[in-house]
Amino acid sequence: MNVLISGGCKNGKSAFAQDIAVKLSGGGRRFYVATMIPYDGEDRKRIENHISDRSGMGFTTLEIGRDVGSCLDIAGENGTFLVDSITALLLNELFSSHGGEADPEAAERCIRGLDRIIRQAENAVFVTDYIYSDAFRYDEFTESYRSSLARLDRFLAKECGAVIELCAGSAIFHKGGFEL
Amino acid sequence: MDLIIGGAYQGKLEYAKNKYALSDGGIFTCAEDGNIDFSFPCLYKIQEYTLYCAKNGIDAVGVFKSHKNEWENGVLICDDIFCGVVPLGKELRAWRETTGRLCAYLSHEAASVTRIFCGLEQKLK
Repeated sequence: MNVLISGGCKNGKSAFAQDIAVKLSGGGRRFYVATMIPYDGEDRKRIENHISDRSGMGFTTLEIGRDVGSCLDIAGENGTFLVDSITALLLNELFSSHGGEADPEAAERCIRGLDRIIRQAENAVFVTDYIYSDAFRYDEFTESYRSSLARLDRFLAKECGAVIELCAGSAIFHKGGFEL
Repeated sequence: MDLIIGGAYQGKLEYAKNKYALSDGGIFTCAEDGNIDFSFPCLYKIQEYTLYCAKNGIDAVGVFKSHKNEWENGVLICDDIFCGVVPLGKELRAWRETTGRLCAYLSHEAASVTRIFCGLEQKLK
């Protein structure tokens, strides 16, 4: 089964996603596909917090900042893959090889990798961020980032069997459903 | 009238086109120029019109009320811009306020209200 989890920032999406992944996996293998590439001490601290949050839950961490589908080359298809987060993945792909210029192929590349996980992995849980409801006029780059991320979200929402919006740690099911 | 709201890039127009079999010619896309044509069956990007209203001191709710007979059987689409921090700029604050008041009024008048989330519909009314 594939599950998409979205919602506002800092309201417990990662912890919730970990619980879902554990549940989906039963006794099977669990992989945490960590997409964030740390750039400073603040990032490293967040990563440490996430690692300690999931310690003892049986996840093997795969640090994959780009080409997300390659997690299957490393781990095989047999297992539950928690991809956290789509937001960071897109950012990394946007700045992969263009020396400061945003890569126009980034969203398409992300979709190919995510599609591979959806088709081949036993189970997958994807975490993304809902960043579409504020009253602000962003610069062109930020708008193109927002529209690309929304494109990935809509792709995942279409393909996943369950789509959950998390609000203050509580789940709103937009599609599918299962016992939490 | 059917009201469709949701965040930016969520697929609101695509949803409306499929749901109501709208042709491109039936959709009026608002821009920040103050033009709005209530004779179209679908008004899209209403938040662009309200931005113009906020910047120019126009009462958007009043304008909509005075054209009610034209849109009351239509489809209205507006971005949800209500979940961020209070904007620092005065114009953007007025924009959020005006858009919020308009959406609350339209939501009250609507036969149905649908929120689009990642392309999926969520029935609110």
